[in-house]
Amino acid sequence: MHTEATPVQPDVSDLDLVKKCQAGDSEAFDELVTRYRTRVFGMIYNMVHSEQDAWDLAQDSFVKAWKSINRFRGQSSFYTWIYRIVMNVTIDWIRKKQVKGTGAEFDDAIQLKDIDPASKTVPKQDALPYERMQQGEIRSQIDKAIAQLSPEHRAVILMKEMEDMQYHEIAEALGCSIGTVMSRLFYARKKLQNLLKDVYENI
Amino acid sequence: MKTFEENWTAWLDDKLTGQELVEFESALPDKAAAEAEKRGAHQLGALLKRELVAPALTNEDFFHHQLRERIAREEAGSVRERGESVSTWWTIRRLFWTGATSLALFFICAAFVMRDKDPTEQSQYLSQILNAHVDPAVAPNATVSMFESKQDRVTVLWTEGLKSLPSDYAAK
Repeated sequence: MHTEATPVQPDVSDLDLVKKCQAGDSEAFDELVTRYRTRVFGMIYNMVHSEQDAWDLAQDSFVKAWKSINRFRGQSSFYTWIYRIVMNVTIDWIRKKQVKGTGAEFDDAIQLKDIDPASKTVPKQDALPYERMQQGEIRSQIDKAIAQLSPEHRAVILMKEMEDMQYHEIAEALGCSIGTVMSRLFYARKKLQNLLKDVYENI
Repeated sequence: MKTFEENWTAWLDDKLTGQELVEFESALPDKAAAEAEKRGAHQLGALLKRELVAPALTNEDFFHHQLRERIAREEAGSVRERGESVSTWWTIRRLFWTGATSLALFFICAAFVMRDKDPTEQSQYLSQILNAHVDPAVAPNATVSMFESKQDRVTVLWTEGLKSLPSDYAAK
């Protein structure tokens, strides 16, 4: 699995850093955050479709990780362990949001924010406006389709397709059996194939 | 025994091998349709991989700064909570001991009061008679005896050697 480059302590393993954290070394925890923040943020973003919420949930996840770092026994990899925390935090948040029924699932502000008023018109290296619009449309359709999945189904499909995680890793991260993971993948794929068939067949 | 869903997922991800693969494929009612669906699933996977690119985490330094602050705040909060819980515990312990001591004092006092009350159940004249005495100058051979039955609540005063009991010779 890909992890970010660590300029300060590139050779130190996650487990060694965790041991330092357990001894109260907050610098070691900073290093772990540096290694996993991008992946954690990306995973949460694709679950909740809001940059601000993803930021807050990533913060919540890392705070929770720090508070329970002494319970990490090294039986699984650190990234599986942190993903379990991330998934618990994010799935709980989505459930609460669904119960409250507040606001739209999608954050329109992200698209508006992406448009820089001072940007050059039609930069040569970028995609043409039509292509960008088309890409934006595809992304929007995918987000809408994913939003129709239950939080658990979202989690398995994203971990499998985005992170290339193995069944047993997903099972550890979600705290369920491998059979449950495979079953959820089956239904998540079926639903997404129905919703996005036109998209992937016409590209 | 794997379910159909589990076998289908494993087949889509090319994780089904050997006898399991043969058995699963031979059980498919329409293999061509299944193969088409498998291709579709692979296309879907490729689409998701390509399109689901999360925006980069901007302000990484601020992310760390905010995280450090939150951790420090939460740790300070938990230390304060621990302190509060200790002081509450002390208050509860103090209350407990104060209550227990008060109860013990109450029972001790009550026992004394109850013990003091017992004699009053006797005849009120008894103490007067017991405290009375016969002047030896008047009647040197006089004796006074008393018999008491608490059950029957009867007290008998037996006097001997007295010619008479002067009216002004009342019990003192």
